[in-house]
Amino acid sequence: MAGTQRAMTIEQSQKRFARLIALPGMVVLVLLVVGPLLYMFVNSFFLKTLATPRPPRFAWFQNYGALFSDQRFWNAFLKTMVIMVIGIPVQSVLALVIALLLNKKFPGSRIIVALFLIPVMITPVVAGFEWKIILDNRFGPLNYLLGFFGIHPQAWLAEPALAMASILIMDTWQWTPFVTLVLLAGLAAIPKQVYEAASVDGSSERETLWRVTMPLLRPVFTLVILLRIIFIFKIFDPVQILTGGGPGIATETLSLLTYIIGFKNFNVGMSATIAVVQLIVITIIAKVFISLVMNRREGRQS
Amino acid sequence: MQARKILSLVFTAALLLAAGSAFAQVKITVYGDEGQNLTPVEWLKPLAAQKGITLETVGVPFTSVYEKLKTEFVGGTGAYDVVIFYPAYLGEFAEFEYIQPLDGLFSVHDPKMNDVVPAYRDLYDMYNGKTYALPYDGDILNLYFQKHIFEDAGEKAAFKAKFGQELSVPKTWDDLLKVAQFFTRKKGEKLAGKTLDEDFYGFAFLGARGFAYAWWGNIFGSLGGAYFDKNMKPMINSPAGIQALNIEKKLKEFCPPDVMSYGYTELMNAYLQGRVATMIQWSDVWKKANDPKLSKIVHDAGISQMPGVKQADGKIYYRAAAPVGRVIAIPTTTKHPKEAFWVASMLSLDLAMKSVASNETGEDPYRISQFDSPQTFEKFGSNAEAKNYLAVVKDNLNHIFPDVNIPGSAEYLDALDVAVTSGLSGGAEPAAALNTAAATWDKITQNLDPARQKKIYNAMLESWKKHGFWKD
Repeated sequence: MAGTQRAMTIEQSQKRFARLIALPGMVVLVLLVVGPLLYMFVNSFFLKTLATPRPPRFAWFQNYGALFSDQRFWNAFLKTMVIMVIGIPVQSVLALVIALLLNKKFPGSRIIVALFLIPVMITPVVAGFEWKIILDNRFGPLNYLLGFFGIHPQAWLAEPALAMASILIMDTWQWTPFVTLVLLAGLAAIPKQVYEAASVDGSSERETLWRVTMPLLRPVFTLVILLRIIFIFKIFDPVQILTGGGPGIATETLSLLTYIIGFKNFNVGMSATIAVVQLIVITIIAKVFISLVMNRREGRQS
Repeated sequence: MQARKILSLVFTAALLLAAGSAFAQVKITVYGDEGQNLTPVEWLKPLAAQKGITLETVGVPFTSVYEKLKTEFVGGTGAYDVVIFYPAYLGEFAEFEYIQPLDGLFSVHDPKMNDVVPAYRDLYDMYNGKTYALPYDGDILNLYFQKHIFEDAGEKAAFKAKFGQELSVPKTWDDLLKVAQFFTRKKGEKLAGKTLDEDFYGFAFLGARGFAYAWWGNIFGSLGGAYFDKNMKPMINSPAGIQALNIEKKLKEFCPPDVMSYGYTELMNAYLQGRVATMIQWSDVWKKANDPKLSKIVHDAGISQMPGVKQADGKIYYRAAAPVGRVIAIPTTTKHPKEAFWVASMLSLDLAMKSVASNETGEDPYRISQFDSPQTFEKFGSNAEAKNYLAVVKDNLNHIFPDVNIPGSAEYLDALDVAVTSGLSGGAEPAAALNTAAATWDKITQNLDPARQKKIYNAMLESWKKHGFWKD
């Protein structure tokens, strides 16, 4: 009995010690994450602008109503979704092909991997300026190269559809290496014995890819796609530098619109509302995506 | 006796030294958009040092002037002693006392405000009858053209054959449309007797988001447009507003295909490289067009009054938009208002002539004394060319279509800019785009305090009325 009590006391003191160790981290988390998050939620219920020193007015869901009836918000939402729906599949397929190729060790493969990572390492602002030059109507190398195929110079950043395509091209250029890198790490983590067993069973290369590699790569794929969804919701620098959201609002994404409303127009209430909506949408997408993948996995296992 | 003489000399020397160093040793921080527009502050540094003032500059990107400054003002940091910004924000900064009235500081160093073009001074430096800012840059938009193609006999004959009228520098939007259409040519065709080695366009404007609204404003103003009526009902979607956007959209057909991505530099280069027949741009481009290091059209750069609309009496009514148009103000938080004002006044007056007559800056003339000194601009052209340049800029300044400068102007102008660029790029029909912007303007007004907005806007209209730009 005394021994049990002593064990509990030790356990309790260990728990207390653990809490004590976690406390600074928790304080920082509350101050830097939970606090601002709550402040953002509260602001979304107020009519609050810094353009005039008028006191904030509590407005229940007025900001949400105004936001959902605003064409500009829905346009930004749609543009963000377009980048997501087109960008992620294209980048994923490209990255998978490249990762599978690079996973086959060959002379110089390490150098190629290192070179391949350059776009990820370049600051998005610098990359934006580089692409602005590449896409220039008159002096850009892209139009120059297209000229060899008899294609007339294109106004990449001035025509709505082409401007959107430019954002997608740049996003693909910058983020495909990142997806590749994560998939390479996933491929490296697959035990060799699994492939040996597949080989002993007479599995062809294609069968091995679909029945061994892909299922084992699924968790990594899920993670990287989820990360890309979050990154695309935050896409800002390339859009701001390449097009500034234009022409018109042809390339205005949610994060750019949030920035304009919050930091150019100083409409604090409305920018908080957009941020809250974004947070909810990201959470829902993540939840649905993960549960879909997990359900499929569990179904296969059963 | 000798000792008294020495003492007297020492005293005199001390007085002279004191006079040379008029202020206590202070640091004055000047805020503005970085690059060429802070160059005059660099020029002032040695002179300021003699006065006991150490000048420091804080530069921010061209399109971020408002947001950075507003953040500082709301935070009340007092980080800046002198601020250079765009007068679209003057009403907001003055109304909420972020900047101070300057009339009481004129005794420090008289900025000679009577020397400033009256319309420009009253609309961009004054608020509620008080001077809140000193002019720094007389930004105004003008029509530019390549002189030789308008003078070519073959082109003149061809134009007359096509349109049944003489080829001349367009004075109306209808004429500009004809000229733009006429001069738009494909590579391989001839222009003024020479075979074109690339496509040539009749017109160009600023299409990138930020200040694109002002190019529409030129047309809207000439059609008698105003931002709101006296009851704060938005007028940008009035028939005049829609017509203005339709005219600009028609003009776009004769512009380079990438015109919707043109900012200041791209637009200027299209003209300086001789790729467009006409364009509308700020006044400093004439100086740059006559610099052989920058331009292929040296001494061929023509400048003219903004096109307008012919009235029933045959007169042409025209207005020139004035986006940017930097002014200098003193924040209420400065601890050194006198020293700050001395710096502001030196920049606005003493260094102004050098500034507006230099290619090292982007500043444009705004003082009557500058317009009366064509010899200062002769390094860019002949005396006659300089006289013509100054006369046109002064005339356009006297026909200013100012930015809306009431609280929330950044938000109003952003919504208008989106509507104009959407209407031009095909993202929305001009009427629909402007209707959306007008609805947004209504929401902004409601959100900001409609009664106060109305009061401030009506005060702005009084200045418009004084200069004949508004009739009740």
